[in-house]
Amino acid sequence: MEHHLIMWHWPMIVYLFLAGLGAGAMAVSGIVVLWGPTGEFRHRAALIARLGAFIGPLPVIIGTGLLIYELGRPFRALNLFTSNFWFMVLNPSPMNWGSWFILLFCVVATIYALTFIPWKALLSGERGERLEARSERLRAPMATVCVPLAIAMAIYTAILLAAVPARPLWHTPVLWLLFTVSAFSTGLSAIILVQRFMFRKPGAVRGAVRREDPAFRVTEYYLVSMKVLLIIAELVVIGLFIMFAHMTINSANFAVRTLLPGGEMATAFWLGVILVGLLLPAFIEGFYLLRTAVLGHEFEWPYVINVSAPIAILFGGLMLRYVIVVGGQITGPIGI
Amino acid sequence: MSDSSAKPVSRRKFLKGLSQGAAAVATAGVAGGAMHAAATKPATESGEKNKVQYGMLIDLRRCIGCQACTVACKAEADVPMGVSRSWVEYVEKGRYPNVGRSFLPRLCNHCSEPHCVRVCPTGATYERPQDGLIVIDQGVCIGCLYCAQACPYDMRFLNPVTRFADKCDMCIHRVSKGLVPSCVNTCQGRARIFGDVNDPGSEIHKLIARNPVAVMRETYGTQPNVYYIGLDTTDENTRKPGQYVRVTTNKARSTKRT
Ligand code: SF4
Ligand code: SF4
Ligand code: SF4
Repeated sequence: MEHHLIMWHWPMIVYLFLAGLGAGAMAVSGIVVLWGPTGEFRHRAALIARLGAFIGPLPVIIGTGLLIYELGRPFRALNLFTSNFWFMVLNPSPMNWGSWFILLFCVVATIYALTFIPWKALLSGERGERLEARSERLRAPMATVCVPLAIAMAIYTAILLAAVPARPLWHTPVLWLLFTVSAFSTGLSAIILVQRFMFRKPGAVRGAVRREDPAFRVTEYYLVSMKVLLIIAELVVIGLFIMFAHMTINSANFAVRTLLPGGEMATAFWLGVILVGLLLPAFIEGFYLLRTAVLGHEFEWPYVINVSAPIAILFGGLMLRYVIVVGGQITGPIGI
Repeated sequence: MSDSSAKPVSRRKFLKGLSQGAAAVATAGVAGGAMHAAATKPATESGEKNKVQYGMLIDLRRCIGCQACTVACKAEADVPMGVSRSWVEYVEKGRYPNVGRSFLPRLCNHCSEPHCVRVCPTGATYERPQDGLIVIDQGVCIGCLYCAQACPYDMRFLNPVTRFADKCDMCIHRVSKGLVPSCVNTCQGRARIFGDVNDPGSEIHKLIARNPVAVMRETYGTQPNVYYIGLDTTDENTRKPGQYVRVTTNKARSTKRT
C-alpha cells in the first residue's frame, strides 16, 4: 500500500557491520586470553589476542562517529543521554540504553586494548616495566568482562532492528543469532587478514613469532578451521532465518520474498552474502584444509588466495547488513 | 513546528510523581531549554477514563478524493516539497465491468499505544497529556528516525529543512485554540469529523458508537484514534490470484537527505 522510504542509509549499514566486527574481534581476543593455548603456541596466541584487542574498539568508535556525523548536529546527539524520564537519563528505547551500552563498550574495550600495548618497548626505564607488569595483571580480568560485553554488543546490533514490529524482516527472533555469528566470523577474519599482511613474506618474523615455525602453520590451520565452522553455522542460521519468515502467515512471509529469487534484494543476497561472502571462502579454505587433513600436505597456499578469503568474508558481512537494513525498509506490514 | 502550547515537562507520565523542582532539574540540560520552562499539570490528566483524546472519524462514503485536505495540510503546516504529512490514496479494483474506485485519506493515527513513542531514544516524541495527541518536540529530537522505522503506518519522515522527524500533529496550534484541523476545515464533503472520542456528548463519539467503524492495521496493537467508516482492506499485496488491485498513494516522495 505504501511505498517505503529508505531512511537509514549507508552510515547505519556500515555502523552495524563495524560494530559487529569490533565486537567479534574483541570476543575472539578475550577467549584466546582466557582459554588460549600455552606452551609452544603461546606467542602465537598472544599475537592473536593483541590484534583482536587492538581491532576491538576502533570500528565501534568509527561506526558510532559515522552515525553522529549523519545526524548533522553532533551536540544534539547528547540528548540521547540527558533528556529522558527514568532518572533523567534512561528510557526503554533500545537506542537509548544502547547508547549507554556503546559508551561502556568503547571505554572497556579501550582499557582492554591499552593492556596490550608493549609498554616496556615504548617507555624505557622503570616506568615501562611497571606499566607492563600492571597490564599483564589486568589482562585476564579485563578479558572476563570483555567476552560477555562483546557478545552483548553483537546481539545489540540486531536488537536495534528487531525491536520494531513495523519492519517484519527485522522483527524476527533469529536476527540476533545471524548477526552474532556474522560478528564472530567477520571479527576473526579481520584478525586473520591483518596477520596475513604481517607475515606476507616467507621467513617473516614478528616478535617471538616466526612464519617458518611449525606452530605457526598449526595455529593457522586451527584458525581457518574455526572460520569455516563459523561459515557453516552462518549458512544454517540464514536457512533458519528464511524458513522462519517463510513459515509465518503474515507480513514476514511477504517481507522475506524480497530476499528470495525474483525479489528486489535477491541479487545482493545470493551473490553478495551467500556466494561471495560464504560459499566462496568456505570452498577455498575448505579445499586447503581438506588437502592438509586428508592428504597430509603442508598447510600452505598462494598469498592472493590467502588474503582474498578473509576479504570475501568481510565483504559478505557488509552485504548482509546492507541486505537486511535496506530489505527491511522496502518491505513493510501488509494489509490496510 | 514548535509546540508552544505543550507543557513538555508535565507531559511525561513518568514524571507524574516528581515534584516540580525535580522536573525542572530533569530538563535543565536539554537543548531548547526555553520550551521546558513551564511545569503545570493540566486538569484533564486526572483519570484515564475522562481523559480528553482527540481523534478523527473519516466517512469514506462521503470522500470524493479531491485532495483538498492534502493541499490544505501542505499549506497550513508549511510542509516542504518531497514529503507529506497527509495524503489521499486511490484504490482501484475489479475487472470490467465490475470495477470500483475508493479513496483512503491518510494521516497520523495519534495512537493510544504508539510504537513511535516507545522507540524514541530522547523522549522527543511524546503524548500530550491534555489531549492525547502525539507530537514531536523539535527542541529535543536528534533526527535519528527510529520513530519512522517503528510507525506501522509510514507516517513519519525526515523534514528536509529542519532535519528533524516530522509528521501530522493534528494541527495542535489550531485545535488548542478550539478550531478544527485544517484538513477537516477544508473538506467539502464533510467526510472528516474531528473531536474528543472520549466525550459522550461529542459528534465523533456518537458517530463511532452508531456506525460500523474500523481502524487501520488493528493487529499491530497501536490503538489508533483515526477511525474510518467503510474502510476497504483490499491491498495490492494480499489480493487473490486473478484479482486486479491498484493503489496510487499520491504521497510525495523523496529519499534525499538534504
Ligand atoms: S478534502 Fe475531504 S472529500 Fe476531499 S479528499 Fe480530503 S477527505 Fe476526501
Ligand atoms: S500513526 Fe505512527 S506516528 Fe502516528 S502515533 Fe501512531 S505510531 Fe506514531
Ligand atoms: S527522530 Fe526524533 S522523534 Fe524520532 S525517534 Fe529520533 S529523536 Fe525521537
